[in-house]
Amino acid sequence: MTVDTAVKQHVAARPERQKRRHNPITWVQRGGLTTLFFLLPLLIIFGVFSWTPIVESVVMSFQKTNLVTPAVFVGWDNFVAIFQDPLFWVAIRNTGYFALLALLFGYPIPLIAAVLMSEVKRMKGFYSVLAYLPVIIPPVVSVLLWKIFYDASATGVFNAILGWVGIPPQPWIQDAATAMPSLVLEATWAGAGGTIIIYLAALTSVSPDLYDAAEVDGASIWGKIWHVTLPQLRGILFITLILQIIATAQVFLQPFLFTGGGPVNSTTTILLLIYQYAFTNSLGGAYGQATALSLMLAVFLAILSIVYFRVTARWSDN
Amino acid sequence: MKSPGKIAVLATVALVGVGILSGCSSSSGSGGGKVNLVVAPVLPGATADALTALHQRVQQFNKENPDINVKAVEYQWTAPTFTAELAGGTLPDVFNVPFTDSKTLANSGQLADITKDFKKTSTADKWNKNVLDVATGSNGHVYGIPWGPYAMALSYNRDIFKQAGLDPDKPPTTLDEIQQDAKIISQKVPGVAGYMQMTEGGTGGWELATLTQALGGRLEKVGSDGKVTVTTDNAQTKAGLDWLKTLRWGDNSMGSNFLFDWSGINQAFASGKVAMYMSGSDVIGSLMQANGFDQNKYGVATFPLASGSDAGILSGGNVDVVNVKDSAAQIAAAVKWIDFYRTGPTADKTAAINNAKTLAKGKQAVNAPTLPVFDKATWEQNQAWIKPYDNIPVGNLTPFTDGIFNQKIVPEPPAHTQDLYAALDPVVQAVLTNKNADVDTLLKGVDTKVQALVDADSK
Amino acid sequence: MTTTIPADVPLHETIEPEGKRAKRARVVLEDADRGILSPADWRRPHVRIVGTVFNVILGISLVIIGLLPLLWLLKSAVTPTQDTLTNPLSLFPNGLAWSNISKAWNDVQIGSFFFNTIWMAVGEWAVQLLVATTGGYALSVLKPRYGKIISGLVLATLFVPAVVLLVPLYLTILHPPLIGHSLINTFWAVWLPAGASAFNVLLVMRFFDSLPREVFEAARTDGAGTFRLFWSIVLPMSKPILGVVSVFAINAAWADFLWPNLVLTDIGIQPLSVRLPQIQSSTDLGVYLAALTIATLIPVVIFLIFQRTFLRGGGLGGAVKG
Repeated sequence: MTVDTAVKQHVAARPERQKRRHNPITWVQRGGLTTLFFLLPLLIIFGVFSWTPIVESVVMSFQKTNLVTPAVFVGWDNFVAIFQDPLFWVAIRNTGYFALLALLFGYPIPLIAAVLMSEVKRMKGFYSVLAYLPVIIPPVVSVLLWKIFYDASATGVFNAILGWVGIPPQPWIQDAATAMPSLVLEATWAGAGGTIIIYLAALTSVSPDLYDAAEVDGASIWGKIWHVTLPQLRGILFITLILQIIATAQVFLQPFLFTGGGPVNSTTTILLLIYQYAFTNSLGGAYGQATALSLMLAVFLAILSIVYFRVTARWSDN
Repeated sequence: MKSPGKIAVLATVALVGVGILSGCSSSSGSGGGKVNLVVAPVLPGATADALTALHQRVQQFNKENPDINVKAVEYQWTAPTFTAELAGGTLPDVFNVPFTDSKTLANSGQLADITKDFKKTSTADKWNKNVLDVATGSNGHVYGIPWGPYAMALSYNRDIFKQAGLDPDKPPTTLDEIQQDAKIISQKVPGVAGYMQMTEGGTGGWELATLTQALGGRLEKVGSDGKVTVTTDNAQTKAGLDWLKTLRWGDNSMGSNFLFDWSGINQAFASGKVAMYMSGSDVIGSLMQANGFDQNKYGVATFPLASGSDAGILSGGNVDVVNVKDSAAQIAAAVKWIDFYRTGPTADKTAAINNAKTLAKGKQAVNAPTLPVFDKATWEQNQAWIKPYDNIPVGNLTPFTDGIFNQKIVPEPPAHTQDLYAALDPVVQAVLTNKNADVDTLLKGVDTKVQALVDADSK
Repeated sequence: MTTTIPADVPLHETIEPEGKRAKRARVVLEDADRGILSPADWRRPHVRIVGTVFNVILGISLVIIGLLPLLWLLKSAVTPTQDTLTNPLSLFPNGLAWSNISKAWNDVQIGSFFFNTIWMAVGEWAVQLLVATTGGYALSVLKPRYGKIISGLVLATLFVPAVVLLVPLYLTILHPPLIGHSLINTFWAVWLPAGASAFNVLLVMRFFDSLPREVFEAARTDGAGTFRLFWSIVLPMSKPILGVVSVFAINAAWADFLWPNLVLTDIGIQPLSVRLPQIQSSTDLGVYLAALTIATLIPVVIFLIFQRTFLRGGGLGGAVKG
């Protein structure tokens, strides 16, 4: 083969190339075209399915369109319509409630579980697998399965279990008051495993020396948790918190499959409302209004994240 | 050795693949002198028998019309995807929409005008004006061909009636009797809801509309100038909701699950968890096909109407319509197909018997009670033709078939029907899940919301 | 769905070339050093008792939470419907109903939806790998001068919640550029958008960055062209990260609901996640539970086989994926 000559050409060609870097022919010779060829899939896919739609969403939120007739610019009409929709305020309240409950259930439990699990050396692998199993079940299957568990008659799975300990049947998703907590319970079950695994990974990176040092100072077990473990996990705890808030702000699957937003709109979340605006109207959706609401949510989450990282960065400095 | 060129080829293939994604849309127009027609007469999930029967009929049609090439696909019309399918060109040439939507779609220019070809059909003059009206636009043109109209009715489980010591041949004939029977059933047969209604996905509003009209009220009023006023906050609707409240909270005879859409309540009924429910009169067809329900347990009665001339039973049905983007030749072929497939078995003896035979063979309901599309005489004639193939005990249906011709048929609310129904769902849900639901405020909210949509149209 | 990425996630620390990472993983798993409790703590009797009690409680709760729902599903899949309805918690009071499984496979045709799901996952996986590896290679190894701008644009998409794209992306699928007809009801409608995962590109880029440059130089000196460098050097060295990306891709495809629900309306090509909710009301409960079991079993088996990759990926991915 001519490997040797190729290398020689390669080496010899180098100084010349740098002189004529702006010439398109030398650009091709230097492999510019090859580079572009490698970038092509990324450019096409991101261009068509990410960058353009993002720009379009901004444009669309100021338009009225039904896909058949041409789009018309309507200024801020879509945003005004959203603010005038009583369901919008209901959806904000519901989404906030979901996020709050998800934090109450879903934030401390994985942390406690992970700390306990990390102390169990021999069983940790097995425990991790157990904890991660609900994450592996396809989310749709989880919801559909829990929908059966939540059957509100006395012979429903959960109600039968409650019956063993003498608690009367609960309405679960059939009552405006208990529907949302029921949704959160399932979401927490389905998601906690993932968070536990993150915490477990973080816990292993806590240096044993720190515990040794704390013990020299005479720290109790609680003292070690409070003064060593939690501060060491602070970074990851901050991140999982904001990620959880962002994820819960976009909750869709649970209300969509469990209750369709009922009873009495008690589980209509912002994402469900976006879906309803766009995809459940008999005469073509209010696509502009749906995009406008999506955009508002996106901007809100972006601002929230920025503020959050500013604030937590300051805390971390202290 | 993996050649470095291989990945390049692979990448190129992948990229080219993106470029040549053709051949999956329903290519319309005529090919080779033949008119191509994609029709969608069966719902997804049809049994193998049903598909065989359909295939036979398609062959028959193609034989009779050598210049038309019909291809049948499984398809379900849903509002959410319709506009997108229309815009995306994935809509079949012939599909069916519910009564509630045909007029609105026609008036907004989303259906093909079939007036000229419809007039050519042999039965064009026989139609019941009220039925054909649902497929007629505000300009008087015809935009579809109705089929399978039904009236709302009371479906009940005869076995559960017997278990509760009730006579299955004497179903309730007033709202009070429904209430009493439901109470007896709930007490005597534990775990069974005596009576239930749908509440989800717009069906709650649909059934509340039925209840309102049965009591003589209307959810929308059309003025002499054509202006529509939304009037859900009326005495009859409130009386209906009050009746539900008594069943739910006074008698506790509605079970413990309250989120039901159409297929959900059918399933609950088929699995014996609901004894009576409000349904379309033809629902046994679906109960047999989708839920494998034993038709011998099935009973159906007319839904009770209040006295007074305004009280009427809500009716519904399907309209076969044609893709607005179709060519004139395709529209002509489409009307021929609909006439052959839907209207034929109603008016023509041979077609009727053939159809009944295939249904019976496929264990599908032959004599599910529907309403006449022409006149009562033709309908009775048709019932006589198919009688030998009936597979639902006729006695089980008489409480409905005996009474329905004495009931006044009232169409559904005309303007923004689906929006109205969707807005009413939470009201029905509120009454069933909250003992202290504030019905007045909720109904006023619905009036405001839907009125705004109606007014926006006239701007 | 990818939501946002905090700037200070130490990606480059979490993902390293195979040798180093494997060592690290071993340290993680076999770290016998100590946790919060010291060996001295463990020797104290009351710590030992309380610790054991906690351990037992933890074990029982994890079994109840992680395993019991699955076992119930498994049991109910072969239980006659009436038993599940009237007595959901008893163990086969009236025998078994194996026919549920065959009905789910044959009558409900779970099989064909199952293969649709696999086909969807394979396509999404292939597109994601193609975009992430070629793009990552170009941006991280070939480093064109305009590369910074492109990686910036890719990164920026991480901050846009997926929901914003729902409607415009739907319209793009209806009227894709250059193709001329709608992609609705074709697998391309789910495959292609899946490729636009900034998260994958980022992971792969960070990994490629950490590969030793000397190897590339040596390969170039040996006459390897750009393509050979990619195919024979970079890709083989990247197996660990490709494994992680693959797990994410397949997991996400299996879980995705909203998007395929919108663009795959044709029953013939729907995946399980879209089909299962639709058939719920028209399917006998026992058969339906058998269908859910089939839909669950495969991912669970795959997980049990590749649990290390999953748990490692989970620990890493959870930190940057919402």
